[in-house]
Amino acid sequence: MIADYLDRLSHQLSFDRSLAQDVRQEVEDHLWEAVAADPAADKLAAQQRAIANFGDARAIAAQFAVISLARCSRRAGVAAVLVIAAVFIAMKARIAWYAATQWAISDGLRAVSALVVRIDRYAFWLSVIVGFGSLAYIISRKIPAAFDPEYNSQLRRFLFLCRASAAALVVSVISDGVLTIIQLAGTELPVGFWVPMASMAIEIACAGVLVFHIRGVALRAASTAALLNSCVGH
Amino acid sequence: MLKGHLDMIVLAALSAAGPAHGYAVIEEIKQRSGGAFDLPEGTIYPALHRLEQAGLLKSNWTTADSGRRRRVYALTRTGNRALIERRAVWKQFSAAIGGLIGGARPRETPA
Repeated sequence: MIADYLDRLSHQLSFDRSLAQDVRQEVEDHLWEAVAADPAADKLAAQQRAIANFGDARAIAAQFAVISLARCSRRAGVAAVLVIAAVFIAMKARIAWYAATQWAISDGLRAVSALVVRIDRYAFWLSVIVGFGSLAYIISRKIPAAFDPEYNSQLRRFLFLCRASAAALVVSVISDGVLTIIQLAGTELPVGFWVPMASMAIEIACAGVLVFHIRGVALRAASTAALLNSCVGH
Repeated sequence: MLKGHLDMIVLAALSAAGPAHGYAVIEEIKQRSGGAFDLPEGTIYPALHRLEQAGLLKSNWTTADSGRRRRVYALTRTGNRALIERRAVWKQFSAAIGGLIGGARPRETPA
């Protein structure tokens, strides 16, 4: 009977495997201790009482889901800052490599390049400011006890900031890509031409990681809301 | 109403009992409140996780005599400070409510 209850609880928490495993072990210990402390001779009835006293698996899982969502959103905030830092390093490494190899842009493309550089700079610094802002915002919020309207609006604000930061970063990465193409166009490729290509691949991967994290928070928020709604429905 | 004070109740129980696992925390709450709080026991565990995430508690896994894995929680320094603050706020609040309901004037405390 306890095993069935634990299976139900783990199933409800399947969106976060490590949490599901920890909670299962913790709750298992609790329920068996409650059974051992029950003076009744009928151990099956004691199991039933322990489960009834513990509460509905879905309702307990919903409370854990809110905590997991808070952790997931904080992780996304940290990821935003780390991704931006990684893009910055890749960008600076590429520029340093261009300088070291004295790889100059052809004269015909200088005007276009200057415009793209300006877009790149503004987009990148916008992503830095908003990205750091999103992290500061989410870590300054209390971990909620419930998915209440206040937390819902906090999460919406955080997701907006993250999306704005990611959009600016994507513009910056696209600009970097255009600049790399301009740099490579019309010149003979030196031996180490793979360096700017590799740094661009890193930038694209970083932007992808950020988008993945933001999508993860949005999906987790939707599944938490659905779990809470199903609790209300029961 | 109880849910609004759950964090303080859990912190106070852990402060009184010392490092303890969830079941022991619940027993401590039952014992100290004279069984007045009738919360589903499972509600305590999300609160413990939330308080740990907020840095007010720390936990470690041990093995119980039964051989089962057991998570033991303890107050952190931040948790202890938070409990002291919440106790002071609660005393002020209950003195004020006591004054209103019971008719006795609460002692004035400097702001």
